Amino acid sequence: MKRLLSLAVVALLASCSGQTGPSAQTAALPPGIRYDAHLAAGGNLPPGAQLTNPKSGDGATAKAGAAMFSAMNCDGCHGGDGAGWVGPSLADGRWRYGGSDSEIFSSIYYGRPKGMPAFGGTVGVDGVWTLVTYLKSLPVPADIATEAWDTQ
Amino acid sequence: MRRLIAMLSLAVCVSAHGAEATAAPVASADDGQWTMPGKDYASTRYSTLAQINAANAVRLRPLWTFSTGVLGGHEGQPLVVKDTMYVVTPWPNVLYAFDLRKEGYPLRWKYRPAVSPNAIGVSCCDTVNRGAFFADGKIIYNLLDGHTVAVDAKTGRELWNTPIADLTAGETTTMAPLVARDRVIVGAAGGELGIYGWLKGLDLKTGKVLWTAHNLGPDADMLVRADTFKPPYDSGTDLGQKSWSGDSWKTGGGPVWGSVSYDPDLDLIYYGTGNAGPYNAEQRLGDNKWTSSVLARRPEDGALVWAYQFTPHDSWDYDATGAMILANLSIGGKPVKALVHFDKNGFAYTLDRTTGRVLVAAPYATINWAQSIDLATGRPVLDPTKATGASRGTVKGICPSLEGGVSPASPGAYSPRTHLFYTSTNNLCMDYAAAAASHLRGTPYLGATTPYTAGPGGNLGGFIAWDAGTGRKVWENKETYPNWSGTLVTAGDVVFYGTLDGWFKSVDAKTGKTLSKFKVGSGVVGNPITYRGPDGKQYVAVYAGIGGDWFLLAGDIRSDDPADVRAPADYIKDIARHTSQGGIVWIFGL
Repeated sequence: MKRLLSLAVVALLASCSGQTGPSAQTAALPPGIRYDAHLAAGGNLPPGAQLTNPKSGDGATAKAGAAMFSAMNCDGCHGGDGAGWVGPSLADGRWRYGGSDSEIFSSIYYGRPKGMPAFGGTVGVDGVWTLVTYLKSLPVPADIATEAWDTQ
Repeated sequence: MRRLIAMLSLAVCVSAHGAEATAAPVASADDGQWTMPGKDYASTRYSTLAQINAANAVRLRPLWTFSTGVLGGHEGQPLVVKDTMYVVTPWPNVLYAFDLRKEGYPLRWKYRPAVSPNAIGVSCCDTVNRGAFFADGKIIYNLLDGHTVAVDAKTGRELWNTPIADLTAGETTTMAPLVARDRVIVGAAGGELGIYGWLKGLDLKTGKVLWTAHNLGPDADMLVRADTFKPPYDSGTDLGQKSWSGDSWKTGGGPVWGSVSYDPDLDLIYYGTGNAGPYNAEQRLGDNKWTSSVLARRPEDGALVWAYQFTPHDSWDYDATGAMILANLSIGGKPVKALVHFDKNGFAYTLDRTTGRVLVAAPYATINWAQSIDLATGRPVLDPTKATGASRGTVKGICPSLEGGVSPASPGAYSPRTHLFYTSTNNLCMDYAAAAASHLRGTPYLGATTPYTAGPGGNLGGFIAWDAGTGRKVWENKETYPNWSGTLVTAGDVVFYGTLDGWFKSVDAKTGKTLSKFKVGSGVVGNPITYRGPDGKQYVAVYAGIGGDWFLLAGDIRSDDPADVRAPADYIKDIARHTSQGGIVWIFGL
C-alpha cells in the first residue's frame, strides 16, 4: 500500500513538471507577487507578477522617501538611515524577504510576520514606491561580511 | 599559610555572625528557595544562605549549563521552588521546569505557549522577559504579546491565560508580575510607542482583570480618590491630566516594565513608571505626571495612595521603572521605613515609603541635567542648558545618557548585614537632538536622535556599594562596558553580578574585591539568584545571553541573521569581539 502511494506521488509530480499542469491552473488564481529568490519545487517557478517601480532611480523621489522614512516612524525600528535597530538593517544590501523593488514593495505594503506593520493602508501605492526608491538609494558598504579586531 | 588564612577567615565569619544577631533581620526564615523575582516582597535580592562566603568563593566553579535555544536578551532570573528550577525564556516565552533532585537536572516538563511573532517588532528593545512569580501552586508570567499566564507548577498545564495588553496599540509585556494578597499585578511596556500606560490587578484564581489603573490621565482613569490620595508634594485634582498640554496625555507613555515591590504591613504596592512620550518634550508641555514616578497603590482595588515624580517633564527618557527596594534603615539616628531607588536620571533616592517624602537624594553616577534635588519640594534643581526639545537643536553632553545611571532592567540588592545597597552602573553621556514626532498607532513615537559617548574616566560602566542613609558611595569597581546585570548579595557577604562581555563575578560585599570570575559564554543582562539544593548545598544560578538594549545598541553582537549586518557602535567598538547572542542557564557551586 505504502509503495503504491509513493508511486502515485511520483506520477503526480511528473504531471506537475509537464507543460499542462501548473499553467492550466493559472487562470483561476489571482495575480500574486513571485519571489524569484525562493526555491521552486521541481525547478518550476510559479506564475506571478513582478511589479515595476515607476520611480526607480529618481533622486527627488529618494529624497522625499528619506523624509517619509522618518515621518512614518520607520527609523524608530530600523534606525536612522536604515542602519538597523530593533528591526533589521536596510542599508547592508541584504534582505530577509528579497531585495528586488517588487519584493521590498511587498514587505512594506503588506507587512511581515515578525512585527513589520503593513503600511499600504496608510501611505498607499505611491508612498510605498517612494520608500522603496529611498531604500534602494542607500549606499551599501563595500565589505560588510568581515568585522576584524586584530589581523596581525 | 593556607591553613592560617582559613582559620582567620573562620574568625571573621564568626564575628560577622555576631553582628548579624544585633542587626534587624529582613527575612528571618529563609527556606533556601527563590520564589519571586526580587527574592522577597521588599525586592532585596538578599539571601541568608552563607555556605558560600567571602573566604571560600574563590573555589566557585560551574556545575551545570543549559542552552535555552533562544537568542533574545536573557534578562530576569530563574525561580527555585522546592526541588524544581523554573526558567522563562525571552520570546517565544518557553517555560522550563528542571528537576534538581536528579543528575543532570532533566526536565520535568516544558510549556510552549502560543505567542504572536508580531510582538517581536512591537517590543521597543529586544524580546526580553523579566521573570515569573510563584504563588498558590502556580508559575505566573507575562508573554511578550500581552498575555498573562498561570501554569500549574507541578504539571506544566496552563490554568489560565488572560489577554491584558494590546499589541496594535504598541503595548508589549516584559515585566515580572507580583502577587500581593490574591491579586496578580501586571503592567505593559510601550513608552516608545505612545501608549496610555497602566497597571492591572488580576484575580489569582481565575486570571480575570479586576481593576485597571492608568499611570497618567484623569483621576477616574488613575483610580485616584480624593479621600485616599495623599501625594507628599502636590495637591489638586486630575494632576495626571492637567500636567499635560492638550490631549498629549492620551499618548503620553508611562509604561510599567520593571518590577513591583510590596509592604504587607502598610498594604502598599510600589512600582515605577517609564518615560513620557514622545522624546520631543515640546509636544507635551507640563510636568507630565505621573510618568518617571513611583506610585503606591492598594493591591485589592488599585487605589492610588501616594505618588512622587523623580523627573518632572522628562526630556531625557529617564524611566523610573527600576527596582523599588524596601528596607528599614536608621537615618540620622531615627528608624525609617525606607524605599531606595537608583533612578535612570542618576540620582539615588531614599524615600519614606509611608508618605513618599524624599529623605536623601544624591548622585550615584555622573549627572549634569540637574544640580541636586530640593528636599523641600522634591523637585530637581535643573541646569537649563541641558533642557531638550525640537526648537533647541542638538543639546550636547547630557549625563547620564538615556541608558540611565543604571538600567531599570538591572535591579540592585540590599544586605541587612552590611547595611549597604549594591547596583550595576553605566557611565555614558549623550547628545540629544529632538525633532517633531508623528503618532501612528502601533509604530514608534520617538522624535530624538541620541548618540552616546563615554562618561568621565572612559570606563563605560561599573558596580557600586551605596549607603542610602547618607547618600554616599562606599566602594566602586570600574567595568570596561556598561554593566547590565542585576545583583545578588548573601549572608556570606558575597555579592554576585555579571558583565556585558560575559564575566560572572563574585566580589567581597565589604570591599568589592573580586573573589572569583568565570566567562559564561555570552554577556550577562540577567539577575543572579541563590538557593539551597535538595542535597542541602548552596548554589548560585544566572543567565548568560546579551540583549535588551544591547540588541539595538550593539547590533554587531548578532550572528544569526545573514540579512542583518551592522557596523559597530562607535563608543563600544569591540563588544562583539568578546560576546555574541545566546541564552544559557548556569549553575555554580563549591
